[in-house]
Amino acid sequence: MSQPTHDPAKPLLEVRQLEQRFDVSGSFFDRLRFSGGRISAPRRIVHAVNGVSLAVKRGEVLGIVGESGCGKSTLAKTIVKLHEPTGGQILIEGEDITHHDFTRMRPVRKKLQMIFQDPYASLNPRQKVRDIIMEPFLESQSAPVPDLAERALALLAKVGLGVEHLDRYPHQFSGGQRQRIGIARALSVQPDLIIADEPVSALDVSIQAQILNLLMDLKDEFGFSYLFITHDLSVVRYISDRIGVMYLGFMVETGPTRTIFAEPKHPYTQALLAAAPQLGTKLGPASEQVRGEVPSAIDLPRGCPFRQRCPLAFARCADERPELRPVGGGQAVACHLSEPATQPAFAAI
Amino acid sequence: MSNSEQVSSPLLRVQELRTWFHTFGGLVKAVDGVSFDLAPGEIMGLVGESGGGKSMIGFSIMGLIDPPGRIEGGRIEFDGRNLVSLSEDEMRGIRGKEIAMIFQDPMTALNPLYTIGNQIEETLALHTALSARERRAKAIEMLHRVGIPQPEQRLNHYPHQFSGGMRQRVVIAIAMIAKPRLLIADEPTTALDVTIQAQLLRLMRQQVVESGTSMILITHDLAAVSQMADTIVVLYCGRIVEKGPAEAIIARPRHPYTRGLIDSIPHETAETDGPKPRLSQIPGNVPDIRRLPPGCAFAPRCRFATEICRTTDPVLAEQPAGRSSHPHAVACHHPLAVSP
Repeated sequence: MSQPTHDPAKPLLEVRQLEQRFDVSGSFFDRLRFSGGRISAPRRIVHAVNGVSLAVKRGEVLGIVGESGCGKSTLAKTIVKLHEPTGGQILIEGEDITHHDFTRMRPVRKKLQMIFQDPYASLNPRQKVRDIIMEPFLESQSAPVPDLAERALALLAKVGLGVEHLDRYPHQFSGGQRQRIGIARALSVQPDLIIADEPVSALDVSIQAQILNLLMDLKDEFGFSYLFITHDLSVVRYISDRIGVMYLGFMVETGPTRTIFAEPKHPYTQALLAAAPQLGTKLGPASEQVRGEVPSAIDLPRGCPFRQRCPLAFARCADERPELRPVGGGQAVACHLSEPATQPAFAAI
Repeated sequence: MSNSEQVSSPLLRVQELRTWFHTFGGLVKAVDGVSFDLAPGEIMGLVGESGGGKSMIGFSIMGLIDPPGRIEGGRIEFDGRNLVSLSEDEMRGIRGKEIAMIFQDPMTALNPLYTIGNQIEETLALHTALSARERRAKAIEMLHRVGIPQPEQRLNHYPHQFSGGMRQRVVIAIAMIAKPRLLIADEPTTALDVTIQAQLLRLMRQQVVESGTSMILITHDLAAVSQMADTIVVLYCGRIVEKGPAEAIIARPRHPYTRGLIDSIPHETAETDGPKPRLSQIPGNVPDIRRLPPGCAFAPRCRFATEICRTTDPVLAEQPAGRSSHPHAVACHHPLAVSP
């Protein structure tokens, strides 16, 4: 395969201040409220992604971790434009695709493919494997392709399946095999970036390891990048070069994998790492600093999104929302405690 | 907690349990000759991948196997009584009172049409002679113990008014309110986030330790089990492949399947800048349980398998025991050597 020429300095994917909101108010009558002698009809807005910026370089794996409801899947779907972003910018190799419509997205989809979490729901049950895996490729071609069968076979071989699987339907496969088919489909257009949304969460541990190995082998062979979304810390640690930690739609900490695991700076990252079960260590006494649960994304707390659960919160956290600021070593933290108190922000430089 | 000093008779003794399902596709031997003992106050982890039969053991003990499933043989001795031979009426006196169960999905485990107060008190109304006022007081106390704020008000709320973590706390409260002697928790934290997961595992352990309840923790999450359990039983295709003290199983697994499961978990590696080492993986897939290969069911995926593995069933045999009262047993023709 021929590598397209590209500018190595430019990130493959750049996301600037991305914002995704959903109006869940329902009809006018659903919204009606009566209080204090007045009738009002307030809207209910879910703030799923709030000003997230990130960049993925060629050949890099950026892992996004966070708990359910933190907006990581919405972020993925917005980047591939399954949702229309409500604010911010998405750039693929410098090309702004934020407002691309369906037709203008077509050539972009050759560069950008997605692998989904649920291997049962993400394959069309009425299509044969050969049709499933070749569909993105055929979409990207203008003329008929003569050697389609060979191409399909080569793809299947890449993901560890064989000629006998070509004419089967998805229900004839196990979860792990289906995920392989989903990966083959994403590979068919030789993308530059694969966005993988919890690709191994639905699989048994032994199959998980097979799929993770496959993903890494393919990356080494084709040199593409991953934006890897997961809630599983051991998986993200294994696969990522850099990590972004999300909480309530905000990016609260980013940095190289090693640094994040060795010196997490944000209190939420620290709590998340402490809570993850470790093989062979007994459950310690409650390091019970982080209590309670994630607040609603409909009424975002004022100030820092984490302050109600944060053991270190102080007055300023309630008034001022911390910005994601670099703290050196490629790490950036959105926490007032990590800001140098005297100097103004680094970002001013 | 350790039971090494006291040699007590087991609270639960499962012997050669066979729970089979007669389906149109063939006979599914979901549980096929499983035996284990559970001492009072012991926390046992039941681990394995999907299809291993771990949930079916829990359902069998609770007497919740429905056709086409049937307990074909074996005994489930609970406190001296064989649960398999009890009538449904007799079982009802035990279920919820002596043996309680926590299910994976806290939304479907609770009835959406009743307040959680109703649902907590139901157990007491069925199994105790307490008055309505006493039941309410106990329910409030129980909600308080599982960490639900403002229990007096929350008692009147419906399940949908609780978050997933809070719902699972309610389920734990319902399970623990009658002070059962055995708690079976089937993937209790799988549906929940890690920070909530840790909170609930702590809560469950605290509850069972305080009341001296025995617990069977059914899960696929080896890390969670290793944090909680005194003993671990590993299942593959309806049979026990290895059982023993938790530390020994995690640190010195003797069965290739257990070893494979442990190694499949991405663990701390020396994080170098070079290419990452591949994870060690178990090749292949779990076989169709209706068409198990002869001999050891794991043989087709096992790199140590030899001719005997493909012809003869391995027997669960005790290994030279250590100090612990729980011997380490493994069903393998070629158990892994204990590394020094």
